[in-house]
This record gives sequence, C-alpha cells and structure tokens, in this order.
Amino acid sequence: MSTPAISIRNLTKVFPIPFKRERVTAVHDLSLTVEPGQVYGLLGPNGSGKSTTMKIVLGLVPASAGTTEIFGRDSSLVESREEVGFLPENPYFYKYLTGEETLRFFGKLCGLSGPKLRDRARDLLKLVGLENAADRRIGGYSKGMLQRIGLAQALIQEPRLLVLDEPTAGVDPAGSREIKDLILEFKSRGITILLCSHLLGQVQEICDRVGILHKGRLVREGKLHDLISVENQTQLILENASPELLARIEAEINCSGARLLEKAKPQTTLERYFLEVTQS
Amino acid sequence: MSASNPATLPIHPPHKAFSPARILAIGANTLLELVRLKVFYFLLIFGLVLIGSSIFMINFSFQEQFQMLKDISLGAMSIFTWLLAVLATAMLLPKDIEDRTLYTILAKPVPRFEYLIGKLLGVLALVLISTLVMAGLFAVVLYARQEIVIAESLAQAGREATPEQVQEIVRGIKASTFTWSLVPAIIAVYLKAALCASLTLLISTFASSWIFTIVTSVAVYFIGNIQSIARDYWLAENGGTALTKVFLALVSLLFPDLQLFNLVDDIVAGNAIATGIFLKTAGLGCVYVVVYLFLAYFVFAKKEL
Amino acid sequence: MGTTKRIGIVIAVLLVFGAIRLPVERSLDEEHRKAFFRGAKLDLGLREQIGQGGFIAALSGFRSVVADLLWIQANTAWQNTEWGRMVKLFDAVTTLQPRVTMFWEMASWHMAWNASNWARDNPKQPSQARRIKAQREYFELGRLYLERGIRNNPDKYVLYDRMGLLLRDKLKDHLGASQAYAKAAEFPDAPGYEKRFAAYELSYVEGREKEAYEMLVKLYHLGEKERLPTLLARIDDLQKKLNIPEEQRIYIPPETNQ
Repeated sequence: MSTPAISIRNLTKVFPIPFKRERVTAVHDLSLTVEPGQVYGLLGPNGSGKSTTMKIVLGLVPASAGTTEIFGRDSSLVESREEVGFLPENPYFYKYLTGEETLRFFGKLCGLSGPKLRDRARDLLKLVGLENAADRRIGGYSKGMLQRIGLAQALIQEPRLLVLDEPTAGVDPAGSREIKDLILEFKSRGITILLCSHLLGQVQEICDRVGILHKGRLVREGKLHDLISVENQTQLILENASPELLARIEAEINCSGARLLEKAKPQTTLERYFLEVTQS
Repeated sequence: MSASNPATLPIHPPHKAFSPARILAIGANTLLELVRLKVFYFLLIFGLVLIGSSIFMINFSFQEQFQMLKDISLGAMSIFTWLLAVLATAMLLPKDIEDRTLYTILAKPVPRFEYLIGKLLGVLALVLISTLVMAGLFAVVLYARQEIVIAESLAQAGREATPEQVQEIVRGIKASTFTWSLVPAIIAVYLKAALCASLTLLISTFASSWIFTIVTSVAVYFIGNIQSIARDYWLAENGGTALTKVFLALVSLLFPDLQLFNLVDDIVAGNAIATGIFLKTAGLGCVYVVVYLFLAYFVFAKKEL
Repeated sequence: MGTTKRIGIVIAVLLVFGAIRLPVERSLDEEHRKAFFRGAKLDLGLREQIGQGGFIAALSGFRSVVADLLWIQANTAWQNTEWGRMVKLFDAVTTLQPRVTMFWEMASWHMAWNASNWARDNPKQPSQARRIKAQREYFELGRLYLERGIRNNPDKYVLYDRMGLLLRDKLKDHLGASQAYAKAAEFPDAPGYEKRFAAYELSYVEGREKEAYEMLVKLYHLGEKERLPTLLARIDDLQKKLNIPEEQRIYIPPETNQ
C-alpha cells in the first residue's frame, strides 16, 4: 500500500471574525485520501470549504485541528511542496516576463538552475503547446494561454501531485479541450491530480473519484462511476437497428418487470459538435 | 518528462532549508518589476531640479551657490530615496496577494522568510541604484559649476595673478565643492531609506490596505525625527506629569531615532565625520533593518493567505 | 495565534528593542554632538520665526534647504535695504545651520559693512550724531554675529580671521584684531598671513611695539616667503620708531616703502 498522495485526517478550520464573538467553521472534521495516480475532483458550492481545504493542503493556511499530508509529509512543512504543483484560479503572472522567463523564475524557486532548467522550461513549453509564444510577454497571452503556462509552471519541478483550481474557467471550448487532454496526459504519466471545478460536465469526463463538500463537511465521496450510475437503469445504444428489431425488444420489455423509460436518438454533445464545426 | 517511477531521480535537487539562489531569484524579479513601473522617470525630475536650481542661483557668490546646490541636491536625494523606499515597499505584498502570484510562489518550496528577504532586497537594490544615479548626476552638475566658477575667477584675477595665487584660488574653490565626507552623508541617506523600507514592510504585513501602510509609515517617519527630543524630555530630571512621562517613554521606545541619520545638513556645512562614529551609526541602521525584517517575518509567517 | 495577538507581541518586542538601544543611541547622540552635529536648537522660538512648514521640514532632516530658502529671502531683503528683516532672517538661518561659517560671515559683513554704510549716509536721518550712532550699532551687530559664530565653530579659523578684519577696519581695535588674528593663526589649516597680520596689528598698539617687532623679526627669519612688502615696511617703520641700534637692524631696501 503506497503512501497516499494526499491524506487529510479530521481537518477542521475555524476562522475568527474580527470584532465579533462567533466564529466561522469553514471545514469541519474532513477526512479524505487521494491515492497516487488518481484524478480526484473536489466539488462544492461557493463557501463549501473547497478553497480553504486546498490552501491548507498547500500550506498557505494553517489548520485549526487535524492533519494534512502530501506523500507522507506534513503540509505545513516547506519541503512537502517539493512534490506539488499548484495552478490557482485565474492565475496571474508577472506581465513583463516572457513565457520562458516565467518558467525559469519558478524553476529557480524550486532549486533548478542552469542548462537543466532551460531545457526543462523548453520541454514544458512544447508539452503545453506554447513553444511559439515562449518569447512573448505574458501580458499578451490569452486566457487559455495563461492557463497553459500556469500548468507548465506547476510542473516545472516534476511534482508527483498537481492541484488545479478551476483550470478551465473562462477558457473557450477549444482551449478547454486542450487542457482536459493535457490533464489526461499527465494522468497517464502517473501524476496525481486534485481538481476543483464548478464545471461539472468537465469534471465528469476526467475524474476517477470525487468528493462533494457542503458547508464544510464531506457529504459524498467515492468513485465517480459508482456515484452517478443510476443503479437500476441500463442504457443500450444500438447502431443500424431495424424498426422490427426495436418492436421486438419493446415487446420483450413489456412482458418483463422492466419499464422502458426512454427511446430516442442519442445526441452528440454540443461541445463535440461545436468543435467539429469550428475546427474543420 | 519521466513518470513518477520511484527508481528515477526527480529533476529537482533536494530541498535546502536556506537558499540564497531562491532569495536572489525573488529579489531580481522584484527589482525588475519595480523598474518596469517606470519609477526611474522621477530621476529625470531630480536632474531637472538640480540643473534648474543651479541656474537660478547665478546671482549669488560662488560659496553660496555651492552651498545651496549641495543642500538642495542632498535634500532632494533624501526625499526621493525615502519616497521610493516607502512607496515601493508598501505595494509589494498587497500586489502579490491581489494578483495571487503570492500563492503560486509560496506553493513552491519557498520558505516565507526567504520570500520577504527577497522582496526587501529587490526594493533596497532599486533604492541603491537610484541613489547612485542621483549621486552621479549631482557630481556632474557640481563639477560643471565648479569649472565655470574657476574659469570666471581666474578671468577676474587677470594676468597679474601669480601662479601661487592662481593655485590658491583654485584650491579655495575646490575645497568648497567636493569633500570626501559627502560620501558618508550619501550613505546615511541610503541607510535611512533602507530603514524606512524595512519598517514599511513590517507595517504592510498586518495592514489592511496599502494606503494604511503608507500613512502609518509617513507618520512614523515624522515621529522618528522628533524621537530624540521626546527622549531627552523623558529622561530629563524635571520631566512633567506621570502621564507625560509615560507618553514620552512610549514614543522614545517604540519609534526609531531618525535624527541619528540626518547627517547631511551638518556634513555639507563642513563637519567631517569620524570613521568610528560613522561606522557605529551605519551599524545601528543595519540593526534596525534586520529587527524590522525579523518582526515582519514573525507576523507574516502565520498570516492566513 | 490571531493577528491582534501577533501585533501585541510585535509592540512588546519593539519596546524591548527600544530599551536596549536607548543607551546606545544616547551615547551615539552624545558623540554626534561632540563632533558638532545636532548643534541646531530647534525649539518653539524658531518655529515662530520660520513657521510650521519650515519647522517640520527642518525637523525632518531638511534644515539646510530651509536655511537656504531663508537665505535667499535675506538676499531679497538686502536688495530692498530692509535691514531689520535681514537680521530676523539671519538669526533663523544661523540657528538652523550654526555650522556653516559662511552664514555667520556674510551676516556679519552685511551688518558691519553694508548696513553701517547705509546708516551713515541715510538721507532720511538729518542728525549726523544719530547717523553715526546707528552706524556704530551696526558695527556691533556685525561683531556679535562673528562672536556667536565663533562660539558655534570653535574648531575653525575662518571666523577669527573675519573678526580680525572687522576689528581692524571698522572698530579700529588693533589689539583686538591682533588677538583675533593670533587665534586664527593657531589653527593648522590657517593661511600663512594670519600670523603676519597678528604682528602688524600688534605693532599699532601703544606700548606693544617692541613685542610686535620681535614677532616680525622672527617671521622675517623664517624665510623668503614671509618677506612680503608689508612685513618689510613694518619692520623698517618699527626699527626707526624703536631706535633699534644699526648693527641689530635688518636691512630693508628703500623701494619697499613705496
């Protein structure tokens, strides 16, 4: 049993309100585990404690009680962040630096230097598809490009864990698709990913497990597939079925205890349709 | 890019508890950011002030001219370095927090104290460069004036002047322009600005807005300039009521004594400063910077971001 | 730990730091004062003279700039012969910058030379006696500036030299002038003529001619540099006056008495 990528045990965070006696409990006795190699979706409405949990895991905010560990190391220790790459929501980088300079800056913060750093930066730029924009200032990047440079920066030191906060928010469908593909690419290379997003459709496509937070508590948690499969329903998708075949199937259903809920032409997703049309 | 195979060594070197390279990266970045804000344009204003004032004072004797040129230059240097130090530092943390770049930086294995030191070093480097440029401009203008005055004086002395008299005239003029003690004066100006930068950083760690930081820093500056007066009253025999004594004690203990760094006025007046005294003063300035930085770290270390 | 608590600890540490640096700063302050820094007395009297803004600027380390601005005003006042206003401004300037000898020097010059001349020829004052009296008052004002200047700058020769000049030319006090020049001559960086001037002035004082003569002879023997026309002329004069025997006299060629 390998060390979990993230291990949160009985995490509680209480914020005092200045000048008032009551306090806000942002996270209440939260426990969850993210195994290495998983893509984990952390979901919840605004104010559910998602961001707070993420910040505690990253050591940006201290916990009131409980422990959080990254690959076995306490998150409040600076060293634990060797293994983590973080992409914040609406990332903002120094406008006057070029893409490559930005990556080199963050690389230096991780202890990288020299030709090794240069090569690494170039590799990452290629990976996220920004090699042509490497010498352009960040100030001129589009939203999608910013997210991609953000991903590259998060990966600069080859972390085993990525924490992504709304990685596709505000990005157009094509850019979104690219980012999703990148995330799946990272996953195939064994990187663990903790994803926070409001875009549930996208979460559904890429996450293995999800945890749903509500008012600071974990209300549902588990394999995505298990959570959203409707247990007692089955979906058949047929190709080239003749009307006679369909009639026979319906007759069979009517004889059994099952009920036909829906017969319709499956739809492609609007996303796929849009991409087909705009990228042809 | 390798997979997370435990057998493969990760690309990053093992984490160091203290890394000058990290501090340098943050410091250089801070300096660049401040430079891009075009703060150096104010140096143009400084240059104009210098040249303007030297032209304006043509009707005075050369001694008066040099006196006033030096006073105005060093006074302008004083105020520009102080303004630069306070304004640049006040914006450091709020800007990073607002832009969320602070999160991306601290999400890397960067200890918070290295972040603070790096930021402060960036500002100190900016102020240092500005000081050097201003000192250079000042030297150029002063030298130009000196040469003009020498030429005029020699022309006035005429052809009957003996070589000895000529030498005396030139020596007299040069003695009123450049003196070596201008160097410690300028260093003292820089140290005062550095102290104010460190203090502003401390205030910004718990301030709610950068306006609050600036206002507080300015207030502390003014109080710091009269701290020595308060201190003398407090420690004098016939002080005042107990309440006054307590008040004066608080002022004396909490605020820095900035008068110790106001050496410019007297050095320009011709006071030379002994190396021993200067080193002690400079050392005290450095202690202030370190103490304020340490306190800033103390507040920032557990700050909820 | 809440922010309020942290701020409390910061204040506590600052108080302790303040207590620790208290003796250090006081002793450093003392050393500064001994080296003539911090000589300016910035008190409420000054605030009256230079106003609130100027006072604050002076306290904030811009004493010299405030002094210069006042000096420029004094210059303008001079062009309007507003002697009274000039005195007020000079007082403020020298309070702000007591270590700038130039201010004392020029204040003294304005009083003892410019103001006194104007007072002597003042067309608005019909009584000559009153005019002479006013002139003498300005001489005294000039002398007082130099005196205060010397008190603030006991380590410089310049103001002693100017005092000598004032006493000689305006107050006709040869003894005083001689003493001033002699004091100036004691400084290592004083120009060579100070000691000569001390001797010259002494030679005009009743009853001190012999002493002056000996000084001049000593200077003469120091070498060619000292044997300026005035020195030779004085020696010649004194030799005749004191009836120095021929064989002890220094030979002075006749041209020097031009």
